[in-house]
Order: sequence, then C-alpha cells, then structure tokens
Amino acid sequence: MDSVRALEQLRVAARNPRSYLEGWRARHRGRRVLGVMPMNFPRELARAAGVLPSIVQDDQRPIGEGRALIAEFYCGFTRNLADQAATGRLDIYDGIFTADHCIQLLGSTDIARTLEPEKPMFFGMLISSLSDAWAPRKIAEMMGQFREELERFSGEPVTDERLRDSIAAYNQDRRLLRRLFDERAAGSTAYSPVELQDLVASAQVMDPGEHYELLEVVVRGRERTSLDDRVRVHLSGHLCHAPRRELLEVIEEAGAVVVDDDLWTGRRYLQTDVDEDIDPMEALGRWYAERNANLPCPTRVQHEVGWDEWLLEAVSRSGAEAVIHLMPKFCEPHMLYYPELRRALDSADVPQLLIETEHEGIPLESFRTRAEALIERALRKRPAYA
Amino acid sequence: MTLTAAPTDRTNRLSTTRVGGQLVTDYWDDLFTAREQGKQIVWYNGGALNPIFQAAGLAWCHGEALSARLAAQRLEGPAQLAGAEYGYNSELCSYSRTHLGCAVLTLGGDPLHDDPGSSTGVVGLHDRENLAAKLPRPDFFVNNYAGCSTGQQWDEISFRVFDKQVPIFNVSLPFLWGNKPDAGYLVGDEWESASRYVADQLRELISWLETQTGRPFDWDLLSESMTYIKQAAELRREGLDLCKSSPAPATFWDWIASVAPINFLPGNQALVDYFQDVKDEIRGRLDAGVAAVEGEKYRLYFDGIMNWNKLGFLSRKFAEHGAAVVAGRYIQNAFWQEPQLIDPSDPLLGMAQHYLLCPTNHGAKTLDHLTLRDCEEYDVDGLVFHSTRTCRAFTGPQRLLAKSAQDKLGLPSIFFEGDVADASFYKDEILESRLVAMLESIDVKRARAS
Repeated sequence: MDSVRALEQLRVAARNPRSYLEGWRARHRGRRVLGVMPMNFPRELARAAGVLPSIVQDDQRPIGEGRALIAEFYCGFTRNLADQAATGRLDIYDGIFTADHCIQLLGSTDIARTLEPEKPMFFGMLISSLSDAWAPRKIAEMMGQFREELERFSGEPVTDERLRDSIAAYNQDRRLLRRLFDERAAGSTAYSPVELQDLVASAQVMDPGEHYELLEVVVRGRERTSLDDRVRVHLSGHLCHAPRRELLEVIEEAGAVVVDDDLWTGRRYLQTDVDEDIDPMEALGRWYAERNANLPCPTRVQHEVGWDEWLLEAVSRSGAEAVIHLMPKFCEPHMLYYPELRRALDSADVPQLLIETEHEGIPLESFRTRAEALIERALRKRPAYA
Repeated sequence: MTLTAAPTDRTNRLSTTRVGGQLVTDYWDDLFTAREQGKQIVWYNGGALNPIFQAAGLAWCHGEALSARLAAQRLEGPAQLAGAEYGYNSELCSYSRTHLGCAVLTLGGDPLHDDPGSSTGVVGLHDRENLAAKLPRPDFFVNNYAGCSTGQQWDEISFRVFDKQVPIFNVSLPFLWGNKPDAGYLVGDEWESASRYVADQLRELISWLETQTGRPFDWDLLSESMTYIKQAAELRREGLDLCKSSPAPATFWDWIASVAPINFLPGNQALVDYFQDVKDEIRGRLDAGVAAVEGEKYRLYFDGIMNWNKLGFLSRKFAEHGAAVVAGRYIQNAFWQEPQLIDPSDPLLGMAQHYLLCPTNHGAKTLDHLTLRDCEEYDVDGLVFHSTRTCRAFTGPQRLLAKSAQDKLGLPSIFFEGDVADASFYKDEILESRLVAMLESIDVKRARAS
C-alpha cells in the first residue's frame, strides 16, 4: 500500500469512526466494540479482554434531537454525545466505559444510559486528587475493577500475557506518533496540523496494531521538510475532543506554523507510555498517574505540577513565538485554569490569543483576523535583523 | 420593557427564619474578625465539614456560602469584576468565580504579595478595601466536593492563586453512579464502600488538621457538635414532613432561608433551638389553619440550585399566582437530610455519608427515584426547573427528570433560566409566561377531571 492510500484510510477512521468500526466487526465476528469516553480509561485492559476499545469522538454533526436532553450551556462535545445518544448513533458500541469524572461528560453518559438501559455503561471513577498518599492504592483498586468489569463484558479473561501484548501494541503506536510530534517541535513541517489531528484521532478509534501498520506506511512515504519564516505557534487546550479542522487551517493560513500543542488529539493523548518492564497492572496505575505529571491536565489535582509551568517549558523547547488557547465554550476546567496560563505567559512575555470555540457556527473570518493580529504582534518581537 | 404595578404580596413567610438570619449575620461577623481573635481560618468547599473545624478550634469560611450571601445581598459585583479582570470567563460557575474574585481581592494591596489582585483596575478602592478587609486570608484550604468535578478544581485554583503558599487537603468523594444491580439510594455495595472510603479520608483530614494547628483534635467536641446537628436535622425533617399538608404551612422558600443555619452554623444548642422554633411555628400554623401562600391553588416542585439574587422576588412571584412551591431537590435531598445515619458517639461514617448524599452526586436513576417520591409525597401539580446557567451539576439530569415526571406521574413542567450568583442570566419574562401557561394547563386538566 502506498502512503497516500494509508493516510486516506486513517483519515476516514478519524472522521467517520463508524465506517472503521463496522469493518472491524465484519472482520472479527462475535467480538464486541466498546465505546470509551475520554480521557484516562486504560484501553490496554479492554483490548486484552478481546474487545475493541474505541474512544468516542465528537462526530461534528450539528446538534439536533440532543438539544431536548441536555442544557445548551454544556460544552459542544457533551451536547454532541447527547445528540449521538438521542439519534441512535451510539448503537455502534456494545457498551460504554468511562473513568473520568467530568460532570458534563457524566451528564451526557447518563443520558445515553437512560435511553439504552440494557447496554452496559460502567463508570469507574479514577481518583483525580493525585497528590494524596492513598492515590496509588485507589488507582490500583480501580484498575482491578476495570479488569473485572471488562472480563464480564467480554466473557474472556484478561491474562497478564495478553495485557502485556496489549500494552506493547499501544506503546508502539504512541511512540511512532510521538516521534512525529517531537520532530515537529524540532523543526519539521512534514505534516499539517489537520493531518496530525487525523493521525491521532484515528489512533483513538482504531486497534493499535492496525493503526501502527498504516501509520508506518504514511511515515515511510513522507519527507521531512524544514521550517520557513512563518511565526511558530503552540496550540493549547481542547482537553478531550478535537477542535474543528477548519480552525486549524485558518491558523496556518493566517501566517503561522504550528510547532507543538497540548491538545487531546495531539500531544496530550500520546505523551505517556505504559512501563513494559514491571507488573502490567501496576504499570497501568503508574501510567495514569504519570500522564498528569508528563502533561498536566486541569481536570486533575496535583499540587506539585502545573499546566502553566509545562506550557512555558514546551514553548521554550519548540521555540514557539506565540500561544493560541483553544478553549471549548463552557469547558470549566479550562476556564478555571486559563488565568494561570495567561499569567505565566505574560510573565515570560509570550504573545497569546484566547479563542473560544463552539461546536457549530464558528466565526472563521473573525478568528482569522485575530490570528493575523497575533502573528503581527509576534513578528514585531523578532529582532530587526531576522 | 413593561411597566406594571407591584403585585400584591400573597406570601406569608415564617417569622422564625428572621432569627436564623440574625444567627447567620453573627456568624459572618465573627468570621470577619477571626484573625483578630487569634484564630486560624480555613476556606472550604462542598460538604459541611464545619463540625470538624469546630472541634479543631478553627474559624471556617464556606466558599459557596460566601458567594451565595454576597449574591443575596447584591454585593457580588466587585468580586465578580475582580474575577473577570483576573481572567475568569462569565460562563464559569458563578459560585467559584465570585469566590475566586474574593481571593483576588483578598490578595489585593498586600505589599508582600506581588500579584494581579493588587493591580485590579475595575474594582473601586472602596469596594476592594471593603471586601478584602471582610474576608480574612486562609491559613489552609480543605476541599470536600461531591457531584461536581468543578468543585475540586476550584479549590486547586484557589491554592494556585495564593501561589501554592497555603496548605490544602482534598477529600475525594466518589460519584454514586450506580453500576451494579444492587445500587440504589442508601443501599448497595457501592454506597457502603464509598461511605467507608470517605470516612477513612475524614480521619486523615483530622490528623492533617492536628498537624496544621499543632493541637490535638477534640473528639468529644465533635460528638457534642454532631449531637446538636443531628437534633437540628431531625427537627428540620419533621418540619419538612409537616409541609406535606395542604395548604402548606411553609414553602420551599422558607426552607431556603434556613439553608445557611443547617449548612454551616456551629453545632450547638442555639441551632437546635432555631429549628425547634421553626417546627413549632409550622405546627402552630397547621393547628390554626394558616397557609404560607394566601389562597393556595397550586402545589409545585422546584428543581435546581437556588437563584440567590432572587429569593424574595421568586417567592412573591409564585405566590402571586397562588402557587405554593412545597418541595425541591435542594431542600428535601440536601443538608443533613438523613439524620438517622448519624451516630453522635462515632459520627464520621454518618458525616461521610451525608457528604456523599449531595443532591448532585447521584446518577439519573436515583434522582428520578427521589424526585418522583417527593412529587407524590407532597402531592404536587407540576415541576419548575431552574436551569441554572453556570451549574452543570444540577442541570445535567433535569430534562430526564422532566420527561420522567410527565411519563410516570403525568406532571407538567417548565424550565426557566437563571443562575446561583449572577443575576444577568435571569429572564423574568420567560419564567412568567411559562409559569402562567403551566398553571393554565393544570386548570384545564382539573376541569376535565371534574
């Protein structure tokens, strides 16, 4: 297969998960598909139980019937999930599991549960206060519960051997994705932000083995290209779902080049691997705890790490000249943390722009103008001889 | 805009709640001078940890309560402006951004603290000094938030606004989702294990407080305090049960006026006396045939957290139409509402269970059970949902509850938009027209049935 066709397959999986999941079902008769809500559910366990765990995406369709079930001041993603539930678009999943206690995410999941009471919908609340002395024990307990529930869901045991294989498969896929992001931060412009988003979103949807095979083909066929003199920008935010593709395009059309990010469909998803050298259950627990240390999330409480500090370091690493905050409207953890990000970037004299994103009706031309203004500001900060 | 004459006030509010108001005022005055009294001060959010703080010899400030009080007194403006200037979006939980605005103001003008609060330009000096002087800086934070993920994040941000210089303790409260077939209200393995887990954390909290204060914790005082709180909660429960009578001798709004006493006042004889007086007044009204709403014609259920800017206004608005709001999730299913769970001699488990029983900490199935139960017990004619703009926790299951009440009990409902502490979200015309329409539909239903 050539790299163009491989990329197209990944793009289709990212943008139309149903087509991939139906194909997977046809190839794996009798096996179940598990919908997984973002952000921290250990999919490795589910794969080891013989099911396909696929992270439920914002399918970017306009919100219709779901409006009758959830308040309009829930974030676009959770309103979209309610709409998927209301219109039967979640029927592709045999069950839904979640580990994250976002009140908006739980609200939409509860709607799905109410509409389909027979479908397994397990919520195992991973402790979010990670500085507590008892956090590792509680994480281990919950991982054990996930294992039991997944065995019940699939009807198959999760053996340590299968779990190790599953961990290795996800690690392999994440490592290759991470390489692309690291190369971008180091100066490569081989992939556009939309392409990278498709590569990561497809990884969230697909089996990691199948994803890796296609991703390898894409990577082999792509030549590294170097930075030009466009303004280097870091994208920050969108903690649990993808920003709209046209927004990413506008940012680069306005004269910026994205060099790094901390988006859910970006570095936030792939930053942390599971340790393959220790007991696999213990490794999954550590993975969860380390994810927040490696890239802090405002939905977690961990006093000794900070998203603001991480962001400053990331900007320094990539040489980003400006930061664009992509804040989904009504995302409370982001709204709460944003002033700390602003304060940190102001103190480091890094130009920044806050864009509040909506599920539908994005005023693209307004964003273009604001992005252009940011780029002008960043350009003025360049030395005169540059 | 329409200009209309002020409607006749058909409310007959309990007179004893004024005493509660004075108790609350005294509490805040005492808190505002706690530093001068040599007390350490804890800022906390979520479940009512005040008996633990009382036994630890601390002064306590409940963040939500402060925001609610400011909103009820129309004093929230400066804090919200300071929060907005610091960067908080107006769609953020207004409890949190009002409280965080207070934190910014509290920091303002402190020569030892080089922070944005000291440079606030939108809040006038008078307001800044006024609020900053009133709310003493915390010596530590404790978070005990159930149901809403924002609650825990809010205190973590307070910790960061204070540059991580103020120690913080988090109590993690599992959401009662109801995974297993045996899960339900007050029953099942999920309930039992979550209760034990939270009780264990309360023991850790007490050890942590001993370290922070340098004093041994007074377990006897905790038992004493919880003895009073249990008595007060029983009296409150009994008073609520009396309100099932028709016409109702007291309304949801009367009980809203008693939220502050049960939620954060010290456990002592004064608290018990207050709720005894409330119950006695209700009993007296029943005996004398006195109604809380003149000419009660409709009985309604109110779902949603309180719109603190509009307490008196809303009580008059509903009464104007002969509607007695007789029950609501924020009253019947909150605030030490299951006193039988409390064992004063060993109170931690019962306390932990009440923290878990926050009315936003249940899955939709349990809330459905509680709502329909209360609608039947209080014999309501319809439901009013306060679609609380910045409170995603309360609003999450509301559409499901409305549908269930219609499908299972044949009860109509309306939604209106408002907020806990931001008056700008309230739309009076929407509530008025929808309320009138629902009451008319109730009339039609009655006419058909007769």
